[in-house]
Amino acid sequence: MRTVPIADDGDALKFCSTCAFSSACLDQGYDKSRLGELHVLVEHVGPFAEGTHLFREGDPFEAIAAVRAGTVKTYVNDSEGREQVLGFFLPGEVIGLNAISRNTYPCNAVALDSVSLCRFSFPGIAALAARMPGVQQQLFKLLSQDIGKAALLAGNYTADERMAAFLVSLSRRYAARGFSPTRFRLTMTRTDIANYLRLASESVSRGFRRLQDMGLVAVDRREIELRDLPKLEALASSILRG
Amino acid sequence: MQSLIQVRAPASSRPDTASMQDNIAFDAALLRRYDKPGPRYTSYPTAPAFTADFGAAQLREHALRTNEEPIPKPLSLYVHVPYCFSPCFYCGCNRIITRDRSRAAPYLLRLAREAEMIAPWFDRDREVVQVHLGGGTPNFLTPAQIFELMESLRGHFRLSTRADRDFSIELDPRFLNLGDIASYAACGFSRASFGVQDFDPVVQKAVNREQSVEQTLDAVTACRDSGFRSVNLDLIYGLPKQTVAGFARTLDIVTATRPDRIAVYGYAHMPQLFKAQTQIEERDLPDAGTKLALLQLAIDALSAAGYRHIGMDHFALPDDELAVAQDALSLHRNFMGYTTHAECDLIGLGVSAISHIGDSFSQNPRDLPAWEIAIDNGQPPVWRGLALSHDDVVRADVIQQLMCHGAVDIATIEHRYDIVFAEYFAEALVRLAPLAVDGLVVRDAGRIAATSRGRLLLRIIAMCFDNHLNAAPAAKPRYSRVI
Repeated sequence: MRTVPIADDGDALKFCSTCAFSSACLDQGYDKSRLGELHVLVEHVGPFAEGTHLFREGDPFEAIAAVRAGTVKTYVNDSEGREQVLGFFLPGEVIGLNAISRNTYPCNAVALDSVSLCRFSFPGIAALAARMPGVQQQLFKLLSQDIGKAALLAGNYTADERMAAFLVSLSRRYAARGFSPTRFRLTMTRTDIANYLRLASESVSRGFRRLQDMGLVAVDRREIELRDLPKLEALASSILRG
Repeated sequence: MQSLIQVRAPASSRPDTASMQDNIAFDAALLRRYDKPGPRYTSYPTAPAFTADFGAAQLREHALRTNEEPIPKPLSLYVHVPYCFSPCFYCGCNRIITRDRSRAAPYLLRLAREAEMIAPWFDRDREVVQVHLGGGTPNFLTPAQIFELMESLRGHFRLSTRADRDFSIELDPRFLNLGDIASYAACGFSRASFGVQDFDPVVQKAVNREQSVEQTLDAVTACRDSGFRSVNLDLIYGLPKQTVAGFARTLDIVTATRPDRIAVYGYAHMPQLFKAQTQIEERDLPDAGTKLALLQLAIDALSAAGYRHIGMDHFALPDDELAVAQDALSLHRNFMGYTTHAECDLIGLGVSAISHIGDSFSQNPRDLPAWEIAIDNGQPPVWRGLALSHDDVVRADVIQQLMCHGAVDIATIEHRYDIVFAEYFAEALVRLAPLAVDGLVVRDAGRIAATSRGRLLLRIIAMCFDNHLNAAPAAKPRYSRVI
């Protein structure tokens, strides 16, 4: 019901509020205009309509992109053509990182709602990283976060634990970008959540219903309110480990 | 009969029932000012806003979307049976008058095809917790046909088997075989609703519905004997030749029967829209003052008999689950009336039926041939509809809170939609100001609430928040008078 979180757009000088690199650049004493001088192409693209593919598996890798607004889902199709959801990317998060080690994108990326991106030429940002240790650190940090996301899926966890971890993860990620940690819209479908958490759709709904009955969440269509974050965090602790 | 309000549980406090018993003194000038046409808000936006560019493809898209909610809502089925044996002149429902029972079989066949087309749009883990058979006259169908219909629905949808499911049927006592009531119970129905309107023989003659007290009481008793959980009786005020004395006698009989629920509807005289109503002489209609007196009488008599005013036109005994749910703040309302169930996505089947799925309203063709042709062509029979905008959703919530609870809790709306009420509704509040001066509504920082006299003019209050009505004064659809 409420407005979807959207980044405060920057301008020629100012970074967007959700920029994945702004803190690293500013810490190093670079404002946005300096990036232009360094030929780091920063290009705002979009908005892309719901269902638009931003890249497909096998497309040549040229750029990484930070999400400015909306949610992006990445997925692959297995050998039998079944979709496997790899992850969801919120404003401020970077897609395409898993393509760095090769020349093509290893997965598909699709807009789940109206999505705007900030594209960075990869050669450009790599060159910048070579000059600026802070940017390099930031790049490594983003890469390790991308790997860490897979932890939700591995391991022998209960449906409730997975659900709680999923919600707490979203909450922390929204909070990190200055959005409400306790109220957000689930932009991903029940099918996608189920696929991502390796649960049946019905189990996802039962899980939400249980969490709601326990007073931990309130669900109104796609609007989620986390009513008891500490309890959810406790439930998620074995997966998220802090 | 299908009406269309869907409302959340009351936000903070239950309606102030005591205020219903206050005496309402309307002066003539006030009456003249507010006795004007207005929507009944059985939906917001109202049906005149539905357009033909919303069709089957759009409805399917909305339906598929609702499957993807974290907790998809349970389903509610409304099935419209259009046939009636005899025309009641007040009727504004979509119906076909015939004594030819052979018309039922092909209608049922097409209903089954419609269900077969629509049901696959909804995930199978979504239970149908409500079924309502309305009309027309559902008991135009034989018990065997009703059984067949329910089996067909059971084949396409997952009908709930839980004890608290609501399977209800409207019955016309004049054409009811009392022995059939046990068969309806065997089909799963546990709630029955009977039209009474008024027992006054003069009124009954004027509206062409002659139904004895005995017929009605026998039907109620038969339902109770067959294990029906609840019986509802419908009354109407504002009918031709209706008098306060006659309606008082009707209310005495009805309250002595102790139905679990009683609905008191206001008659809307709109002969230009409903052909049957042209049979009613305008000069026989009670004036606005008498109509108000009739309504006030109903409220007083039902309150004195121990009925709780649940909201709008609905009353229930204090031990009825609606009253219990209202105390527990778990009352909801959907197009079949008030319910203890959480909100549902509502699927309407049959000619003229209305659906409310996700943030959409849609309606099947009102004329039988158009509905039949669509189904025979393998097309889901959607005639027109509307995808609600965000603004529609916000206003619908406010209007329905008003219509059902007589009050809006400002903080609840602000929290739910992330708005500043006074800013978002600045124009509405300007329109509301004269109503406050006239003592219809009181406003403080926390809430907007109808006063006891305002509760009788809820439509006028709700109209202040209606953006469609206020945005397009040139193309105003025709509505009935509000009193």
